Amino acid sequence: MSKADSTLPAERRLSLLVTVLAFALPVIFVLVPLAIFLGYSFFSVDQGTIVYGLSLGNYARFFTDPVFLPVFWNTIVLCVSVAIICILLAYPAAYFLTTLKGRWRYALLMLLLVPLLMSYVIKIYAIRSILGLNGFLNKALVALGILQEPSTLFVFNMNAILLTLTLLLIPFAVLPIFLSLERIPQVLLRASDDLGASGLQTFLRITLPLSLPGVASAASFVFVLAIGDFLTPQMVGGISGFTFGRILYSQFGTAYNWPFGAALSVALAVVVIAAILIGERFGRNRGISV
Amino acid sequence: MSALPRLSAIFLAAITTLVAVLLYSPLFVPIVSSFFTISHGNVDWSSPTLATYVALAENHDILAALRTTLIVGVCTVVLSVVSGTLLALYYHSRRSGRSLLQFIIFLPFLMPPIISGLALLIFFREIGLERSLLTVVIGHTVFVLAIVYRTVLMRLQSMSRTLVEASYDLGATGWQTFWRIILPNLSSAMVGGAILAFALSFDETMITILVTGTQSTLPVRLWAMMRLGFSPDINALVALILMFTVLLCVLAARFLIPRQVATERT
Repeated sequence: MSKADSTLPAERRLSLLVTVLAFALPVIFVLVPLAIFLGYSFFSVDQGTIVYGLSLGNYARFFTDPVFLPVFWNTIVLCVSVAIICILLAYPAAYFLTTLKGRWRYALLMLLLVPLLMSYVIKIYAIRSILGLNGFLNKALVALGILQEPSTLFVFNMNAILLTLTLLLIPFAVLPIFLSLERIPQVLLRASDDLGASGLQTFLRITLPLSLPGVASAASFVFVLAIGDFLTPQMVGGISGFTFGRILYSQFGTAYNWPFGAALSVALAVVVIAAILIGERFGRNRGISV
Repeated sequence: MSALPRLSAIFLAAITTLVAVLLYSPLFVPIVSSFFTISHGNVDWSSPTLATYVALAENHDILAALRTTLIVGVCTVVLSVVSGTLLALYYHSRRSGRSLLQFIIFLPFLMPPIISGLALLIFFREIGLERSLLTVVIGHTVFVLAIVYRTVLMRLQSMSRTLVEASYDLGATGWQTFWRIILPNLSSAMVGGAILAFALSFDETMITILVTGTQSTLPVRLWAMMRLGFSPDINALVALILMFTVLLCVLAARFLIPRQVATERT
């Protein structure tokens, strides 16, 4: 805290020591592992042992093998769809919360966020039993007369992954949208009303544009969480629901090719970083500081 | 945002109800089945029972996993609160390289857990550290550090500088100021951060699966059991965990929402 004495050699040495100590843990346990991981993506595997020679073979395989790029692309499309559905459900809910007053607003917000605390694995299991051939959803659809007999449309395939991820990730979309809606100054809405705009006009020209940063953050949250998940596809995807996370995970299990898995992780990281940057770019609050 | 037309208000309320139903239906299944028998998707409402809870008390495998999870959680909380607070103080004291340091702290939280987990897995292998509870604790600490750090830093930044200046004016040394002014002011943020860290550690599955040894935590144990289907006592456990986490959540809200605001609302 005493800046005046920092020219003294002892003080300076102490200050350097503090800096080194502060950096030690994050660098050793975050930066070094990530650097080694990146290095691994240039190695290769020969008969079950890792060859420590640099090559671009893993990346060449990723881009040329007919399996990986389509799965990669399909997974991105899947996760974008999850983000869109989450937002379509979360936006009206978040908007409804902001129309409530005082305690009710926060009580209901809590209500929508509490399911986050519930065990992830148990939720996947429960959703799987709801979606199954004998599950609640099929029973309800048959009972309502929508279906003649139980459908396999959402049993162990991509649709099942889509629905499960959506159910798991909605709260992550509600929170940022709620926060951005809540920050909109009420005076703007009243001014719009005073100037004769209809409710719909006020929504389309004031509320919606000002809440878009929250929507962007929500989309990037949901997308990043969905694309990194390998448990949900493994559990509800069956044979046809093959996602990038699953392929990546299998490189460290059954396929046993750590260097290739590392290269796939780099591809995943690139997409995630892009999503975060896009979310950050559009997630800034412009023009709200009235 | 008042005076909504009736029709759109009804529409919004309906969507909100739908979202709540979607979110709570997966929670509803295990809780109902912890009290009633379910066979082939039909609930037998006629005979509520606590048998699942009795069976749980005798399931040593699950109780051992629960104990492991609690041990990991407590170690993670201690490590992350101490290092998160120190790192927040470092950032706040405007020393060199603080933005870079903050970026490194946030990395494991921003990256998908599979990447952090795999990076640690390879790192432990390279330095010859056997996978054990220690590696799990390291993985969890790295993951939750950002949350504790951020919580403490936000409190530090909202603390009035005049408090510290007054302390120096009254002749206190740096250490005295730290122990008697700064730390007490941070304590509720530290407790809130600790609760969040514990909740995250308690449910962390993806990193844990990758870095765990023979002793597994509860989520990993459940994950392994899930392929075969759960025995009914797992439902009892789930119901209990839900109650416990809701309690944690209420506690965290109490410590994290500043007191003036809390009293305003009540």
